[in-house]
Amino acid sequence: MSMINDLIYFETPALWEDFGGTSGGYGGLVWQVFIWSLIVGLIVFVWMAYNLIYFRHKEGDPEHKDSLKAGVFPHERGDAKIELAWTIAPLILAIWLTFISLAPLDYLWDIPEEDDVDIVIEVTAVQWQWTFDFPNDYEVPEDFTKCGELNEAGVRQQNEITTYDCLELPHDSMVRFNINSNDVLHAFYIPEIGVKHDAVPNIETLVWIDTGQVDPGEYNLYCAEYCGESHSRMLANIYITEA
Amino acid sequence: MNNKSLKILSVGFLISILVALSAFPTGDALSSGITGSTTSTVEANGCSCHGPEVTTSVSIELTLPENFTAGGTYTLTLNISGGPNDGVRGENYGGFFVTATHGILEPLENDTSVQKPFDKTHLTHTTEGNDYRGWNFSWTAPDRDDVIVTFTAYGNSVNGDGGASNADRWNSGSFDLMGVNAVAISDKHVELTTPQKMIYAFTILAVTLGVVVIGNRMVTNEQAFEEVLRDAWKAIYPWLTTTDHKYIGLLYISTGFIFLFIAGFLALLLRVQLFEADNDFMTDQEYNSTFTMHGTTMIFMAAMPIIFGFANYLVPLQIGARDLAFPRLNALSYWLLPTGGLLIYAGYFTGGAGDVGWTGYAPYSSGDTATKPGTDFWVAGQIMLGASSTLTAINFLTTILRMRAPGVTFMKMPLYTWSMFITVFLLLLSIPVFTVALILLMADRTFGTLYFDISAGGDAVLWQHLFWYFGHPEVYILILPAFGILSEVTSTFSRRPIFGYTSMVYAMASIGIISFVVYGHHMFTSGADPFFRFAVMLTTMLVGVPTGIKIFNWLATMTGGSIVTKTPMLFALGTILTFTIGGITGVILAMLPLDIALHDTYFVIGHLHYVAVGGVLFAFLAGVYYWYPKMIGKMLSEKLGLLHFTLSFISFNVAFYPMHHVGLAGMPRRYASYDSSLTELNQLISIGAFVFGIAQIILVYNLIYSFKYGEEAGDNPWDGWSLEWATSSPPPHNSFKEIPTLKLAEEAE
Repeated sequence: MSMINDLIYFETPALWEDFGGTSGGYGGLVWQVFIWSLIVGLIVFVWMAYNLIYFRHKEGDPEHKDSLKAGVFPHERGDAKIELAWTIAPLILAIWLTFISLAPLDYLWDIPEEDDVDIVIEVTAVQWQWTFDFPNDYEVPEDFTKCGELNEAGVRQQNEITTYDCLELPHDSMVRFNINSNDVLHAFYIPEIGVKHDAVPNIETLVWIDTGQVDPGEYNLYCAEYCGESHSRMLANIYITEA
Repeated sequence: MNNKSLKILSVGFLISILVALSAFPTGDALSSGITGSTTSTVEANGCSCHGPEVTTSVSIELTLPENFTAGGTYTLTLNISGGPNDGVRGENYGGFFVTATHGILEPLENDTSVQKPFDKTHLTHTTEGNDYRGWNFSWTAPDRDDVIVTFTAYGNSVNGDGGASNADRWNSGSFDLMGVNAVAISDKHVELTTPQKMIYAFTILAVTLGVVVIGNRMVTNEQAFEEVLRDAWKAIYPWLTTTDHKYIGLLYISTGFIFLFIAGFLALLLRVQLFEADNDFMTDQEYNSTFTMHGTTMIFMAAMPIIFGFANYLVPLQIGARDLAFPRLNALSYWLLPTGGLLIYAGYFTGGAGDVGWTGYAPYSSGDTATKPGTDFWVAGQIMLGASSTLTAINFLTTILRMRAPGVTFMKMPLYTWSMFITVFLLLLSIPVFTVALILLMADRTFGTLYFDISAGGDAVLWQHLFWYFGHPEVYILILPAFGILSEVTSTFSRRPIFGYTSMVYAMASIGIISFVVYGHHMFTSGADPFFRFAVMLTTMLVGVPTGIKIFNWLATMTGGSIVTKTPMLFALGTILTFTIGGITGVILAMLPLDIALHDTYFVIGHLHYVAVGGVLFAFLAGVYYWYPKMIGKMLSEKLGLLHFTLSFISFNVAFYPMHHVGLAGMPRRYASYDSSLTELNQLISIGAFVFGIAQIILVYNLIYSFKYGEEAGDNPWDGWSLEWATSSPPPHNSFKEIPTLKLAEEAE
């Protein structure tokens, strides 16, 4: 059944698959996070089950010698070595997970210069619309037919370099987005790829994607930062077309 | 009519209002003008021209002569302004619709931008005419001039993309034109506004119920009217004037649970909206107000009061004090809560409660597009709640520092009191910052200051720093008392002392300290300095360490114990499991490269509910079952408790676990609609949420049933050790007949 499938398997964003080739697949960041989560969860679950099976109260059990009495602070109970062990182990795990995040983080934050990418797109977010401006000298490929108006022949054609709530990009290219907002906070979010950045008024924020990471097709762009009445309708379509 | 059928009648009355409101159809607008069958819906119910709601940002102007004479012909001009592309002419930029109660409307000769659809009396734009924001047309007056003609006009400001779009805005206007001999009638029938109707309906309902209740009393007890009122007053008066920590504690807890049920009901409304991918159960603005009120109520009016309620009742008992240090200040803190709550909810009667989210991010919250005055009410109420929390924090800090009984040294305090001590410390350091931020926001909204105004060069991220400096410690303010309860319950029901008391105290203290240096993890995508973001990622990962210590210590407490699985323990065990899941997803969210995709999606919603419901609420339900016998003197029914736990635990996981999947699939939070491929999972979540909501009714029933028929509890029904179990259930007026001394186990033997 599809719902059970949905509940077992995770759909992960395309970016997570290899994080630029350094942290993908078995042993990669996502895999390790998943495995460690499973291990920690299982330790707690199994230990609790073990406690409930072997240490249940039964009728006639003798009272333990340090059992509790009202108005009396109980005996100290503990073991410094064990407590130290489960302080240090999570500490190591936390530092390890931070360490393996460094390479993906470097990949994500190493935003290419405008000259090093194929297209630079100026994104402007307003309540509740996305505007995409291609560079002035950009020549829209002729087979881009998703975002424009109908021409005389009744064929949809993108002949303008500015599009609204719709963006068509060539496959296999590096795209950099310079994001601005004209009113409140918004966020530029493409779930299938796994990039997100707030659009902050007065500050230009940057996001870059490699359209080769996903198959050609239709993708959603959401506004992910609450921006008022029609926040949930501030969507755009992104088409990645084999050019 | 008896009481029961009256209740049914009133419920039916409310339901029928809701049904009537939801079944209200509106017409849609088209690029080729409003013609044919659309006309009658637009005439009857108004337009939903490209968007469901009227916006005042678009203004409609109809130029009319001063008055008219019978049979005359006049040229009228309709102009619209505001909305997208204001002041420009362009392809597909506008549209209109106009009718008159008398006379005949006609397009001007040779004008191709205005049309009169066949068989109709109104005018509308043509496909060609939708490139304009202004139109001229003629109107021929009727044969009589003693009437007032009303013109109704709709104007649509369109962004030019050739179809209905979210950016399109429309408004309507009504214009009167007097005939030369018409007499103006000033006392026109005035429609009641929705809030007025609500207030009248509730007043009628309250008066009717009052009459029934008082009448019933008068008849059954054969009392005079004054006597009934006097008795009622006698019953209420002590609660209104009390400064006793136990009474105030119960007031806090019951107010908290009432708000919990209100906010839970709002959550169910949200889940009704999300039952279908593109539902129109609520308008966008209603949805936004609803999730804002849900979050605000749950955090500030449900969780915090329940925490303070338990603390009020238990901290003095656990440290052997007769009351808090400042009892009257305590009463003031409590009474600020319902007042602030009412103020925030008053927004609903002003055309829309606050819609800024519980986080109230500026510059949205400081701008014009947030509901007004709903958001002003939200801000004002939050300031009152902030004041209440600050006073409470001072009160508890003083009490715990100065009023401990002999023997109750710091390292001999029960872990619940320890958790409250650290909690109020965090609260005192954090909530004033939020209150100050709210005052700045109020100044921006009300007095025209520019703290958050971006056009004046304000920093759009400033609010996030101010808010999360408070907001993150707030999360620990909620979970630390829950940790305290879990420590008490696991130890008592394992019939052994807690494992590693000292490390538990240090773990809580270090969570408290770390909580002030992690708040930046709420701002991973905000464009803050990369080093800042990396630093808070590291500190956030470190929170996992003391939290892990606590979980392992609870499990170690059970190992070697003699576990009694009564309801409080069941809830504690359930909490440990669900909180562990919430902790794990918390670490995943702390991982910056992953959080960039997960931030502001349903994954976060799943995580925070695993922590806030699976952690805080479940722990406090354990607390209710654990301390109810102490507070009321009766045991809660175990059978109902078991049923309550089982249903709650299962439906909780059904409701909140799939949210992680929905989030990974990319559904952003605070969305009133979603991609239709996620319909099945969302329906599962909604069903889970409804079962969870219904399961809580069992608790209410159990509380009432056991109050009447429960077994007597005795002083120490669970064999706990802390001082509250050394006094009677419920405790006497001054809590202790004489101040007790806490003994040490080593000495007592």
